[in-house]
Amino acid sequence: MVNSRFTEYLVYIGNVALAILIGLALGALIIWLGGYDPVKAYTGLFETSFNPSDYYYFATTLSYATPVIFTGLTFAISSRAGIFNIGAEGQMYMGALGAVIVASMNLPSPLILPMALITGTLMGALWGLIAGLFRALRNVNEVVATIMLNWIAFWIIEYARNYGLGDPRRQEKTISMPVEGRLPLLVKNTELSMAFVIALIVAILVYIFMWRTKIGYYIRVLGAGVKTAKYAGIDPRIITLYVFIIGGALSGLGGALEICGRPPTYAITTAASNIAGFGFTGISVSLLGLNHPILIIPASVIIGGLLAGSRGMQIKAKVPLEMVMAVQGLIIIALSVPGFTFVYRRWRIKKALRGGGSA
Amino acid sequence: MRGVGMNIHKLAKTTLLVIILSMIVFSTVSTYAVSLEQSMKTQVTKKKIAVVYDIGGRGDLSFNDMAYLGASRASKDFGLELVEVQSTTEADYLPNLRTLAKSGEYLVIVAVGFLMTDAVNTVADEYPNQFFAIIDGYVEKPNVLSVLFKEHEGSALVGALAAMIAHHYGYKAVGVVLGMEIPVLYKFEAGYYWGIRYGEKIYQEKTGKSITPLKILYTYTGAFNDPARGKIATQSQLGLGAGVVYNVAGATGLGIFEAVEEYCKSSGKTQGPPFAIGVDADQDWIKPGFIIASMMKRVDVGVYTATKRALDYYAGKIDKYGGILELGLQEGGIAVSTLEDLDTFLQIAIQAGRQVNRDEIYNKVKAMRESIPSWMWDEISKLADQLKTNPAGVSIYGLTFKDIADKIPYTSESIAQVRSTLKVGVEIVETTTTTPSPTPTTTTTPTTPTPTTTPTTATPLTTTGAPDYTVYVVSVVIIIIIAIAVLALLKRRK
Repeated sequence: MVNSRFTEYLVYIGNVALAILIGLALGALIIWLGGYDPVKAYTGLFETSFNPSDYYYFATTLSYATPVIFTGLTFAISSRAGIFNIGAEGQMYMGALGAVIVASMNLPSPLILPMALITGTLMGALWGLIAGLFRALRNVNEVVATIMLNWIAFWIIEYARNYGLGDPRRQEKTISMPVEGRLPLLVKNTELSMAFVIALIVAILVYIFMWRTKIGYYIRVLGAGVKTAKYAGIDPRIITLYVFIIGGALSGLGGALEICGRPPTYAITTAASNIAGFGFTGISVSLLGLNHPILIIPASVIIGGLLAGSRGMQIKAKVPLEMVMAVQGLIIIALSVPGFTFVYRRWRIKKALRGGGSA
Repeated sequence: MRGVGMNIHKLAKTTLLVIILSMIVFSTVSTYAVSLEQSMKTQVTKKKIAVVYDIGGRGDLSFNDMAYLGASRASKDFGLELVEVQSTTEADYLPNLRTLAKSGEYLVIVAVGFLMTDAVNTVADEYPNQFFAIIDGYVEKPNVLSVLFKEHEGSALVGALAAMIAHHYGYKAVGVVLGMEIPVLYKFEAGYYWGIRYGEKIYQEKTGKSITPLKILYTYTGAFNDPARGKIATQSQLGLGAGVVYNVAGATGLGIFEAVEEYCKSSGKTQGPPFAIGVDADQDWIKPGFIIASMMKRVDVGVYTATKRALDYYAGKIDKYGGILELGLQEGGIAVSTLEDLDTFLQIAIQAGRQVNRDEIYNKVKAMRESIPSWMWDEISKLADQLKTNPAGVSIYGLTFKDIADKIPYTSESIAQVRSTLKVGVEIVETTTTTPSPTPTTTTTPTTPTPTTTPTTATPLTTTGAPDYTVYVVSVVIIIIIAIAVLALLKRRK
């Protein structure tokens, strides 16, 4: 029995490898049709993401992996509860805004960093809570609520940048995090800061939370079905709120860490352009990592590598950015498929078990 | 079921172990590599130039496309390979620049746009042997060439044009709508006002009519990206009799063009007057027939010059690369748009796959340009020559153009002086509540907007005048509402 499970995982890993190959092949076709050299393009991609001879590129990869670990965790927790929370984007914006608000206050220097992270976490949690309340109290579809809240968050930070929190000498950004509030870099002259270590710790904490605490257990029971949860004496509304609050807090912390940990600006810039997109990338990270907090880490490194490698494709093979993004989209879709089928199959087994139980 | 759970954890635990181990290995290797890298520097032949675009990217028919024009021209002329890198997010600026600088193959890395100021500032320190150029931004490093533009010269030319047109059609005023009140914009203001008074003098000499001096209107909208405010400001200036409105407001300016077009169309005209004046790129095509000309910053010239300068340095012709490169009329970095420029831009637009009716736009603009007396265009080119050769030659209201240029960098005091000398009229205080009234009282520190690495804390809030607490109030209200909702939910559960 255990052996067959083990082979199942081997098959899964084989699936991932196959998916990567299919994604790369399809991408190569597009590059070739566009009149560029696919071999050069992929060489560039790997040279600027997983280059063994230059630590800098791997550091960049990890720096891109950091925010998507947080947004991936947000999606993973909600998925485990059977909820499709795609509001990580907006929750991340609010977290970043929280950090900037702290940066704008004249706090004593040892307080800035912890306050920024706490405020960011709280504001992210608050933003998640709004969607959670809609879902729990009025049964509003969380996809609609979270996607709309993403836009509200976007315009709130744009408003804040223009009125009140903007840098008066540099209209394109908000006030920067003061030096005392910045996280130290892990490696000199890279973008990789302590934020990555925090992300690893948080991922482990989330794992402990999901599998070693009562609430985590309830969340997973809720994922088995609302009726199951009710039968087990769990109030699904309360657990739904927990899912959104914790998910929001994680993304909020991710947003705050982007402000405190990413050089060189340490601020929110025009149209949130330094934090936009990580929320949605988190969904593919989570799917790729089988919605498991620990497996999200290697998944985020793969996706981070793709993000970091985009410059290599542009520089080495002169593939224009638009095509780079199309190819990356293809690879990410291909990568998400095995994770998706895996999760889907397990869900079907569970459903079959449940169906058998009630009949 | 339990089996599935157990095994996924086993997999997870192994993964975790691998991650921690690789982290340890990675950190030791990288710290070692950092110390190693400093000691070895290889000399590579620099045969390439790189252009890094900001998030706007190619196809904007403005800054980025012009930068490409300049770079491709330079790569052809000097036999260099051109590498272009676009940025998806702002997080890409630093890795883009670092990756390019690392290879050491690039003669010069051109960062297009002031958004990359921080990133260039950082990377320039790390790679002191790599040359960088930043367009429209200022970075004080020996290996960075900051390409800036003499906007006051171009503003003077369009100012003269505005004044002549206003008198020709019997308008009482000319106006300018500006973005945020920052010292950079004072350059535009001063040049424009001087140009207006100069244009008036020329008009009087040419036609022999006695004229009443134009009223000059100016409005700071407080934003560079709010077309709605630009529209309101322009409407009120047009209402006060402005014949020409100059756009010094970035995207806010799109509202200026719209207001001018609507104003004309409401009185049944298919072209100005009143006219608008474009800025930065050739904007004449945006509302053909309503934008008489544009004050162009030739980014292409900037990129080309930056490349040439790097070549000159390596050839030993100059002994210093970095510094400020100010491009004006003399250097071809500033120009008033012509029909040929329009054609170039329309070609770019067509190449970028945009649906533009080239002939229609071209003919409309041509007809508009021909509707004003041709001697006015001649006078503009004469003034351009004058500013190039002898800026101290003509004195208007006791100020020569050299005086205007010498006052740079402007402060709120010195621009106030220029305004009063050139009899710039009353400010229009807008009645809309959302717009902060123009603030002559602002205590903006009299410095050029030099980007600093030292972060600004709370002090900036006080320098922008009254801080806006709306965000805080709204968030507090939201928190209270949510708290009540949560309490209600918990109660119901019992």
